[in-house]
Formats: sequence, structure tokens, C-alpha cells
Amino acid sequence: MRTALLLATILFTAAAHATTIRNDDSCDIATMPAATLLLPYFEVDFNSPARTARTTLFSVINTSRSPQIARVTLWTDWAYPVLTFNIFLTGYDVQSINLYDILGPSGTITLQDRNVGSSSLPNDANPLFLPSAADACAQLPGVLPASFLNDVRSMLTTGRVASCGSSHLGGIHVNAIGFVTIDLVATCGITMPNDIHYYDELLYDNVIGGDWEIVDPNPVTGNYAGGNPLVHIRAIPSGGPAGVATETNLPYTFYDHYTPHQDRNTARMDRRQPLPSTFVARFIQGGTGAFNTNFAIWREGLTGASAACSAYSRNNGFDMVAIEAVRFDEHENPTVNSSEVRISAYQKTYVIFPSASSTPTSAGTFPPLSSSGDVGGWMYLNLANSSTGRPSQNWVVSIMQAEGRYQTAFDATPLGNGCSSTQAYTTNRPYPPVIGPAPNITP
Amino acid sequence: MRMRKLTLLLFICSISVSANTFVKGSPATTNNDDSCDIAVLPAATLLLPYFEVDFNSPQTTAMTTLFTIVNTVQQPQIAHVTIWTDWGFPVLDFNLFLTGYDVQAINLYDIFGPRGTIAPPYGTTNEIETGLRSLDNDANPNFIAASAANCAQLPGPIPVRILNDMRTAVTTGIYDYSCGRNVTIGGKHRNAAGYVTIDVLSDCTLTLPTQPDYYKELLYDNVLTGDYMWISPNSTTGNYAGANPLVHIRAIPEGGPAGVVTATELPRTFYGQYNPPANQAADRRQPLPSTFAARFIQGGPGAFNTHYVIWREGLTGANAACNDYARNGSSEMSVRSVIRFDEHENPTTLASSCLPLYCPNLTLPATSSTETGAALFPLISNSGDLGGWTSFDLSHSAANRSQNWVVVSMSAEGRYSVAFDALALSNGCQ
Repeated sequence: MRTALLLATILFTAAAHATTIRNDDSCDIATMPAATLLLPYFEVDFNSPARTARTTLFSVINTSRSPQIARVTLWTDWAYPVLTFNIFLTGYDVQSINLYDILGPSGTITLQDRNVGSSSLPNDANPLFLPSAADACAQLPGVLPASFLNDVRSMLTTGRVASCGSSHLGGIHVNAIGFVTIDLVATCGITMPNDIHYYDELLYDNVIGGDWEIVDPNPVTGNYAGGNPLVHIRAIPSGGPAGVATETNLPYTFYDHYTPHQDRNTARMDRRQPLPSTFVARFIQGGTGAFNTNFAIWREGLTGASAACSAYSRNNGFDMVAIEAVRFDEHENPTVNSSEVRISAYQKTYVIFPSASSTPTSAGTFPPLSSSGDVGGWMYLNLANSSTGRPSQNWVVSIMQAEGRYQTAFDATPLGNGCSSTQAYTTNRPYPPVIGPAPNITP
Repeated sequence: MRMRKLTLLLFICSISVSANTFVKGSPATTNNDDSCDIAVLPAATLLLPYFEVDFNSPQTTAMTTLFTIVNTVQQPQIAHVTIWTDWGFPVLDFNLFLTGYDVQAINLYDIFGPRGTIAPPYGTTNEIETGLRSLDNDANPNFIAASAANCAQLPGPIPVRILNDMRTAVTTGIYDYSCGRNVTIGGKHRNAAGYVTIDVLSDCTLTLPTQPDYYKELLYDNVLTGDYMWISPNSTTGNYAGANPLVHIRAIPEGGPAGVVTATELPRTFYGQYNPPANQAADRRQPLPSTFAARFIQGGPGAFNTHYVIWREGLTGANAACNDYARNGSSEMSVRSVIRFDEHENPTTLASSCLPLYCPNLTLPATSSTETGAALFPLISNSGDLGGWTSFDLSHSAANRSQNWVVVSMSAEGRYSVAFDALALSNGCQ
């Protein structure tokens, strides 16, 4: 009897303690070497000269001495992949990419040479590379063909391309807007993450890291820069060869809706940590001469592998409605979109963001400022959509700027990890469900 | 029959574990607050790894540091703020009473500058009215009874003598108020420099994290989040701002009242050096890591240049004497290894950077901001590259895996500035 009680105590205690002290063994998204990096939002003014053109840069570091291949994919703001290329990283390599170089007048993907440093292993020393890698990686990107470049620009600014007829693949905006994923792969190919065969090439070593910067050199509209780490998404468990569906305890994964769903293991074949759905994002909305804020928001799309062109409008449609947004001022006064106080079953302001967006907090999409006169505070964003059958994945960056000289960019705080369950709609009543961190124990 | 009930109980217990933690495979847990990874998630301690304030200049041109704290839950919280010198000496602490869902911003220029004021008292006491979704200001069951009175009067103007002593402490290391004029507890620099910790507490007291009694007041709820900004408004020397989340350090396991000893599987903790000897993990705070990858650009005038902002665990323990703090700025704070890689992966180390009369030996105090071009770091290779990254093992020694944090701060042309955390190559438990 006593032994049994002791055992029960031990089991309960174990549940309450830190159950893992290992690296790469939880659902928490941390700035640690990863197998996938996400640039949640980019913007490039490719029509202006470089000295005034807003642009986005990112850098990727290989923290291991073995060579690695990073597959870069540019997506529209409606999550249509428009361009992919490979960065061959020698051991301990660092590569920086200015998206203006790719989308601007030169239309060129420029990479450093592949001479290895004295601490790095030879370029054929990664046993996980496929045999095809030696030849496939010998010729890497350079100048993009003009017609292809025009198509890429068109998709990123108008959402249109001839091969998709009248279907829209992205929103309409002057600047090129979208997001970027960077994955560790076993060969230099042009397969994209929305192709199930991509997962025959994906690797699982948590070895790359990086950061991104939005630079706005125009003294009239910007004159500042903001930077942030890329979102570091780890493979769990890490390691092993490409094309092997290894069991993971993750409930779903970052690329879940593109992976082959033959069984549980293939459905989670990317083994990438999922991203969370609820966030705390701070804002200052001071008007002219003061700090003002944009929320750059990345959201998981709804389209699956090999989706038809016509399906991508869903990634900006009614199915992307977020559960809720609540704004708190500096005196904790909460506001919601006025029609979220449901006076009629038919009246509601829906919070919809596409897969990548940057929206001023003063926009009508967000709840209004309170009448207190406060111009700062924070916003609770529950960005899960109701169409995925599980919490959908999201990321939020708070970008503040002021006076044509200050800009800052930092990640909003998720209220749970990506394995946490969906948080229900909250109300002004002080009993559950209420806004707050996700439960410690995943339900 | 009784045996069957016990078996059932054990089975239920097993399920309660295995539903979210796993006997085999990875991840071992899908729970929140259940790992050693330092992530931007609500936490019980926040660290501002480095601040700098030019309190002698007018506000229009003075470099300053601001931080903001958000209480993410409907219950009120007490955030205990401690300001430390760059040698890890606590010079000032105060409490911010956060109503449910409160947000509180602090500009350190308000504290060290001419105003000499901690946030207006009406904004930080338990007298303030709560928001519509917030619970009452006495609705945190982990507050001790005395907090109702202790949190009613919170900071305001700092007495002139204390303010002057604080200013000399964070600029010259002389803290006459506590340590006399012959002992230094911080480095010498024109601007005030140091770091800040913010902890959830059960009462508004002035106990410091360096005192074992602090761990009878500390709480364990992972509910705070926040960010910080460095603003340099001087158009000659700066004209830019950079921001970053505070370092979010979670209590594991979380929750429960103050002063209760609860086991943690963390092998060491953030405040481990100050914890009571009988319970060296009393704070249950995640430890910070020691190895980092930090990018740099060192382009010279007109281009991007980089500072590494580095926070390091000091060597002094609980209730250390004033003259002990020199250790936190001494050669005892050596760094185990630094390797700089240029864009062609050419490595340079401190050993390879020796000059005929000088061989760098990197020691860094508890907090610092250092240009990557400084002689402290390995020289850049002779390849002509102006960028790359640096691999740090900031442990004091192989035997002492000390805690650290690194932020990359780049600026250019008097208008661009970015700040972001360096990549931690391991969590603090490994």
C-alpha cells in the first residue's frame, strides 16, 4: 500500500517537474539552431533605386563544421510558393541575401564562393547528402531569366501569373510582399515545400540560424531599419537521413498540411515544431511625431499539397478568420471591434489576415483605442482559424517607428507553445475562458 | 479489491503523465514551461541584459534605455525590479504593482536623470482602479497578507542623496551609501551602465535577490512578458533606436506559494548563486546558456558596425561584502573560448590574434557592450571580409559552466540600428 502510494506520488511529481533538460526536446520556439527558418514577412520596393528602396535582408549561419544545403522558398502573401533556390553552406558558413538583389533590377541571386575554412570539413563531408548533391549543387543560382523574374514580381505584387489564368495567388500592393522559408535539405533541387516529394529531400539537423532586417532608406517615408532573429523551427527528434518517416511526439508539425498523410508518421514527416496561435503584442499609436506600430503577422495557410491556383484565395478568405483580438490600453481598459459585442447574429467585424501581412495597429481590422486617451498598451491576438481542426500556426512581430529615424522590430510573446490546444473566445466576464498563458499541462 | 483500486490509481497517474510527456521518443514533453529552452514566453523573471543612460545630457539628446512589462493574466502581480551595476552589485530595487492585464513602461532616464523619479506612484500601487477584465487588486491568493499595506505606497521621487550615490555607483563604481568611497562595485564609464532583473513576488518589500530571504518572497507564476529599447536621440552620435524582448526566464515547475521548497529537475538555476545553501534551486528559474553564435558586420565609417552586448553571471554569492564585487569585473571573469569566422569561414582566435607585445585574454564583467572591432576580440581575418559571425563559449572555465546572454546590436549611417538576440547553441541545462 505504502509502496503504491509512493509510486503514485512519484508519477504525479514527475508530471509537475521539468520533464526534459535536453536540447531540442520540447515544443518551445527558441532562438536556437534549427532545421527550418521562417522570415515571417518581407517587403521589397523593386521599382525604386537601391538608395531609396525599402528592402528586406536575411542572413543564414551554418553553426556546424559539416557542409549544409539550405533551400530558400519565397512565398506570396497568400502562401503560394513563387521561387526556390539553394544556398550551399560550407562548414561554419554565413550567407546574406538582400531580396532587392533578387527582385530588383539586377535580378540576381548572389552567393559567396565555396572555399572551405581551415576549421570546416570538406564540401562532400555531409553523409546525409544524397548522391545527386555533388552534381546538383555544382551549378547554383545566378541571374534570373527576365521573363521568369517578371512573373515572380507579378505574383508578389498583383498575385497574378499567366499560367494561373484569372486566379489570384496573392494580394495587390505596390511593393513585393510575402514570406520566406529556409529548410535544411539533402540535395540542391527545385522541389518546393508544397510538393509531397519535398519530404524525400528534407533533413533534420538543427544546425542553422539567422536574422532578418527591414531597411527603409527613403528619408521621406522611412530612414530607419529594424531587425530580428528569423523564427527558428527545430526538427524533433533531430537527425537522420532524408526520406525516412521517423516517429515524433509532436501533435502536428509546421509543414503538416503539405506532408504526405499516408499514416501518422508520414503526416508529421517534416518533424518541425508547430508555431503557436495566441500572442501578446505591444503597441504605441502616438500619431504624427511619435511612435506608431505595425503588426507583421504570419499565418499558416489552408491550401494543401499541390493545390490548384484557384484554391489560394482561401488563404485570404473567410476561412482565415481569427478567433479574436482584444486591445488593452495602459489602464487595462479592454476594447474589441464594436460589432464583436454581438447585438445581432449577423453583425460582426471579422479579423482576417492573409498568410503574411503588416498592418498598422490603427487600422480598422484591430479593435479601436479606448476613450481613456492612452496611446499605448498591448493587444491579445488569438489568430487560430476555425478551419484547420486544430490550432492554426502563426507568428507576430511588433514593428514600431517614429520621427523618420527610429524603428524597432521584436517578436510578440506567444501565450503558449505550438502544441498547446486552441484557446476559446473570451468575453468581458471575469470567469473562464479568460485571456492568459496556456495551461502548463497540455490538455 | 483495495489492490485493484491502487492499480487503477496508478494507471490514471500514468495517463496523466503520458498524455503530455512521453516515455520514449521526442519531444519528451509537449507541455508549456517544461523544458530548459529560453523562449519568449510568459515568465516569472525578466532580464534586461544591459542598460545605458546618459543622465547628464538633456532628454532631447540623452541616450536612454526603456523597458516595458506586461502582466498577461487577470490576477494582479507584484513585479520586483532590481537595478545592478555592470559588476553585478544591486544598487536600487523597487516594486511595480501590476493590476490584471496591466502594462507598465519605465524610462531609466526618469530614474537616473534630473527627475530622479520611479514611475508615478498612482500608476504602480494597489490603489489603482482595475480594468473591466481584471480581477480585484487583492485577488492573487499568493500575495501575503502584508502586501495590502506594503503595496499601497510605491515609489516616487528618489531622495537626492540616494540618487547621487546611485549615479556614482553606475558610472564610477563608488557607492558611498552602502560601501564607502574606497571600494568599487562597478566599472568606470561616462554613462550609467548595468542590467535589470524583474521578478514576480508575493509582497512589496525591498529585499534584494542577493539576500537569502528574497527566496521566501519569490513567486513562481510564469505571467510576465516585456521588451526593452535603447534610444540614442543625439543626431551626432546616434539618431536611432533598437529593441528586443527582455530575456524571459521561466520558473519550472511553475506556481505555488512563496517560501515553499519544491523540487525542480533543473540542474542549476538563474539565481543559484544567491539561493539559501539549504536549497540552491529555491528560485526554480531556468538557467541561461553559455555558448552562442553572434553575427557581426564591421564595415567602418558609413557602414554597419556591431556591438556585442554580453550579460554574464557574476562570481559573488549571497550577502557578499562590497569589496568582493571587484571579482565580477576582474580576470576571474575570463571567457573560455572565442572564435571569429569571416564570410569565407576563416577562423581567428584570441591566440591567433597575439601581437608582439600584446596577447588578448578576453575577460568581460557582468554586463558590457563592446564594439566587435575592439582589441578584446579576435582580430578579423586578413581576407578583406567585413562580416561574419563569432562563436562564444562564455563559461568562466571548463569546470564552471556559467550563465550568459548575448545581444547583437548593429548601427549605421546615424539612422539605422537593429538589435537581436544571438543564437544560443545550447540551453542552460546542458
